[in-house]
Amino acid sequence: MDFSTLNEALAFKSYDKVADICDSLMFQAASEGVSFQEDWPYAIHLIGHIYVNDINSARFLWKKIPLAVKESQQEVSTAWKIGQRLWIKDYASVHEAIREFIWSPQCQGIMSAFSEMYTKRMFELLQSAYSTISIQDTALFLGMNEDDATNYAVQHGWAVDPTSRMLTVTKQAVVTEQKLDHSILQQLTEYVFHLEH
Amino acid sequence: MNLNMHSVESLVAQIQGLSGNIGELTQLRSYLKHCDDLLRTESTRLAPLLTELDPSVHSLGYLYILEACTSAPLSKDQANELVLSIARFINVCAAEQIRLAPEKFISICKRFKEQVVLLDDPMRGVAPLLTSIRKLQSSTEQLTTLHPDFMLLCLLSKCYKIGLSVLEDDVFEIDQPRDLFLYCYYGGMICIGQKQFRKALELLHNVVTAPMPIISAIAVEAYKKYILVSLIHLGQFATSFPKYTSSAAQRNLKNFSQSYLDLVNNYSIGKVSEVEKCVQINKDTFESDNNLGLVKQVVSSMYKRNIQRLTQTYLTLSLQDIANTVQLNSPKEAEMHVLQMIQEGDIYATINQKDGMVRFLEDPEQYKTCEMIERLDLSIQRIMMLSKKLTTMNEVMSCDPSYLGKVGRERQRFDYDDFDTVHSKFNI
Repeated sequence: MDFSTLNEALAFKSYDKVADICDSLMFQAASEGVSFQEDWPYAIHLIGHIYVNDINSARFLWKKIPLAVKESQQEVSTAWKIGQRLWIKDYASVHEAIREFIWSPQCQGIMSAFSEMYTKRMFELLQSAYSTISIQDTALFLGMNEDDATNYAVQHGWAVDPTSRMLTVTKQAVVTEQKLDHSILQQLTEYVFHLEH
Repeated sequence: MNLNMHSVESLVAQIQGLSGNIGELTQLRSYLKHCDDLLRTESTRLAPLLTELDPSVHSLGYLYILEACTSAPLSKDQANELVLSIARFINVCAAEQIRLAPEKFISICKRFKEQVVLLDDPMRGVAPLLTSIRKLQSSTEQLTTLHPDFMLLCLLSKCYKIGLSVLEDDVFEIDQPRDLFLYCYYGGMICIGQKQFRKALELLHNVVTAPMPIISAIAVEAYKKYILVSLIHLGQFATSFPKYTSSAAQRNLKNFSQSYLDLVNNYSIGKVSEVEKCVQINKDTFESDNNLGLVKQVVSSMYKRNIQRLTQTYLTLSLQDIANTVQLNSPKEAEMHVLQMIQEGDIYATINQKDGMVRFLEDPEQYKTCEMIERLDLSIQRIMMLSKKLTTMNEVMSCDPSYLGKVGRERQRFDYDDFDTVHSKFNI
């Protein structure tokens, strides 16, 4: 099986493409009637789905993996553990699962990219959902120890109250540039004109 | 007339000679149609002919011969070979050529799907069937008879994402009504698998409300799933059918879904314990219908509904109170539920851990941004396109003889002046 497209994607850090590349390679192998299950890079395939937050596809892929592979390849089952925890929304333990395993060189890059992205995603979630939150919980969600978590939060503008061990969330005013393309407004005006006549 | 050596060579020669352009191909097609019976009777001797043809250049001829070869029953090894050769043909054949003999192409693709399922390896068929759909379709708006086969293979092989990509195409043309039923039913199941409940609801709605003189098993099963998906996605289910539903469906579908309608009643009361009791009572029915997983999702959606209901009454509420009202075990559980709902956009709220309170907020969308304008723009364009299509369909239908015949018959019921222009030939 020719995995050059996959390796290229990994080399160029196009991690969001990994899942689609793996899927089409798998269909190709299947349609040629080739028995590919033993050598298939299931770990990277699973992580590819997890990276784009498609836990549904990761679940279905896991169901297809032969039992022998699940039992012998620990990287595959650890990758799935992460997917599982994301599935049941056990936010904090995802970091644990990432950290407790020494990933192979192929998976190292995408795993650390995912870990960073996940931490950022968790932080944004906390920012949108909480007005005050304990340092302990913040640390759990961000997968850091309490001091690092506090520093991370303070760097992003949150206030810390050391006595109650609470953080007060401050939302950064998000300024998205509103580039008004005049042609779109023109188009809308035309629609309204058209509809009224 | 036997297919002797002379005829065989002339067959191959004809195919090789007449595959150059559309004129030649039309000629070839009539020739092949003539030979059809011959091909069928000599099917066991045809395999060597295939080696003399190039499937990408002589697709039409290759198709006829391949179809004749594959009509015979097969052993397991032969099945494997067959599956491989059809898959290869599908990949390289020329779309314009196979479209000249669609029934033949459909026939080998259906055979292909049967064999792939018999070999218990549905994933083998997914990519080739997708290719075959794209080659057979005159446009992405056409639903071919191969679409439901493709959906079925996606379901059997658990390859849902690729199924979704086909479901994104809007369908405006259908070859056979039966295809629509199966396509929408399987499509609904794929959307359910990927948790795209809005699209699943739309597809299942199509099955339930499509014109049908008598109800089918597909419609019955679709109705059951329709009820469950409606509860999960909308938090409610309207037991009355839309006006355009067939009378057969309106009269009969509910008779087969009593357990599901009981679930609807318990769900609307809002107590999780009652719903769980109802699930227990009807567990065997749900299980034998293969809907138990979906039913469980209905139950867990109740917590979400109940929390959403609270936003209508309260501005702030403690986590403890939420847990009590919604029947959760602890304030921490309530907090996790609310957090998940915030993440998925099911609620606008902020959690204050210091006081253990939740403050419910209004939807912050101001509809003033560039993204909103783009969305509006796309929606309006879509609607204008749909409106144009409807007008064209209306015009085509008003020229249709069977429509005019019916209108002519009903003439007495309407004002003469309205149908002045209908030709008297239609006044039966």
